[in-house]
Amino acid sequence: MKSKRKNWTDYTLPIAFGVMIILLWQCKVFHALLGLQTYQLPLPTDIVSALSQNFGKTLSDCIVTISGAMIGLVIGSCIGFIFAVIATWFPKWGYGSIILISAINAIPLVALSPIMNLWFKTGMGQRIGVVTIVCMAAMTFNSYSGLSSIKPFSLDLMQMTAANKWTVFTKLRIPNSLPYIFTALKINIATSIMAAIISEYFATSTSGLGFGIKDNLRKAEMAMGWGYIVVASIVGVILYCVIVLIEHQAIKWHPSQR
Amino acid sequence: MKVSQGKSKTHLFLACFVVAAIAVSIFSGCSSSSSGSSKALTKVNLQIKWLPQSQFMGYYVAQQKGYFKQEGLDVNIISGGSDIIPEQQVNNGVANIGVTWTSSLMKYQEKGWNLKEISQTFQKSGMLLVSKKSSNINSVADLKGKKVSSWFGGNEYELYALLGKNNLNKDKDVTLVQQDFTMNQLISGQVNAAQAMTYNEYGLLLENGLKDSDINTIDMNNAGVAMLEDCLFVKSDWASKNKETLVKFLKAANKGWADACDDPDSAGSYIYTKNKSVSLAHQKYMAEQVAKLVETSDIDESKIGYMDNGKIQQTADLGLKYGLLSKAIDVSKVYDTTYWKEATENNS
Repeated sequence: MKSKRKNWTDYTLPIAFGVMIILLWQCKVFHALLGLQTYQLPLPTDIVSALSQNFGKTLSDCIVTISGAMIGLVIGSCIGFIFAVIATWFPKWGYGSIILISAINAIPLVALSPIMNLWFKTGMGQRIGVVTIVCMAAMTFNSYSGLSSIKPFSLDLMQMTAANKWTVFTKLRIPNSLPYIFTALKINIATSIMAAIISEYFATSTSGLGFGIKDNLRKAEMAMGWGYIVVASIVGVILYCVIVLIEHQAIKWHPSQR
Repeated sequence: MKVSQGKSKTHLFLACFVVAAIAVSIFSGCSSSSSGSSKALTKVNLQIKWLPQSQFMGYYVAQQKGYFKQEGLDVNIISGGSDIIPEQQVNNGVANIGVTWTSSLMKYQEKGWNLKEISQTFQKSGMLLVSKKSSNINSVADLKGKKVSSWFGGNEYELYALLGKNNLNKDKDVTLVQQDFTMNQLISGQVNAAQAMTYNEYGLLLENGLKDSDINTIDMNNAGVAMLEDCLFVKSDWASKNKETLVKFLKAANKGWADACDDPDSAGSYIYTKNKSVSLAHQKYMAEQVAKLVETSDIDESKIGYMDNGKIQQTADLGLKYGLLSKAIDVSKVYDTTYWKEATENNS
């Protein structure tokens, strides 16, 4: 077993690795390997300078995309959870909701975006619509596993003490499903940002990271296009870390957090 | 179960990726080997800017009538699309010759891409800003406070020039939104004004039941903000190694364009058999309108593709002023007339 106290090398080595990759990139090692010109893969310094020149615009685009993604994530996850609860609470017919979600999950993103364009007038509505639908599935599947995979002896114990369905649900099923819910949230963080960005490819709105990436790459502003890509990944990582922190606080009792 | 599902998904994805990569490499290997061992015909790949439609009728007619074959060329026309960038296709060697907008080409050149214009197919701008009569947009000034749509991705600069020249701030005085490739946003009233090409989107409006009298138009040429559009371009080092092929291509292509402009009706019909895009009537309409951009009052069929330094300069000047370019460029480096001159020197 690994010791619980973190060694300084636990942090420095991964950082050094990352820095090395960026240095190799800057020294055109990847360009040489892949036979690329700097106008095809801009250098990190060019990306940073393009970003700093357009900082205000990038920031506002970032806020637009992320707020849409987060609202969609919350709504989608809630709906997904409700479907899982229905499937658990009414085992006889509720499983139909899982099948329904599977079917919705199979709709390709690129088909969903134009449909949401027709449904919603604003770019924000369209973005939230797409993200909501895309985030439902992971939550339904995971939380259904969590709500239904109860250890038989726990259920026996509850029944021995004459616990009713509601008590079993709140005292046993919900706590049991928490690790699964966090897994779903971690999946959904990445999914929601990706879905928001792809939806902007098809949206009427001219703000957002997705529009920035598409528009700049099409008109040869490669450094700026990559700038948007970098911002999108950084935000993704930050949000992932936030979820991991919340998870750590919420399910301290779980073996995965010890 | 959750975990194993995720893993098998990753594996499936990896497998697909590997298969695709192998397929691509075999495919590209095949095409290059077959071109080497084939008959006398030299293979040339032409990347058009959009889907096969009458906008590119000259090349299709040259193909139909065997003009390319007469010159010893086997020309393969590669269809474009919204995220297929001709400049990138030609630079990567997917295509040898490409069709793009001159303004867009300048941008790539500025960024260091080694590409050159070799023929200016459209002599005028085909771009309009259209609105429904009911929106009461009779002049550029009336656009103030209105919702205007654009395709963006490099297609927005004539619109920026139009607004800027008339003292409208593109960020404050109008609301710009992204336009899709139908005209539904304008027809349904979601936007007040939209970009339209004379040969394509304007026709879509007419086909959707609007009459000329229902539509207000602002023509970029009349507004003094015309930037050049469809042109042919190549990668400089490919061109210098394949000069003869390129001259032959231009000869045959110009013959195709001349025939198409003489008889746009049958050019449109032929293209409709190639790709059933929108409708037969639409392709015929497009052919007729495109002919007006290719052959103008001062450009007859012997001079199709003529590169007018003044017009290219105007494109660069507007581009610099309205955000396309970041520094002044030497326009004589945008294009190379050598191939076009040789291809047209025997024309009277």
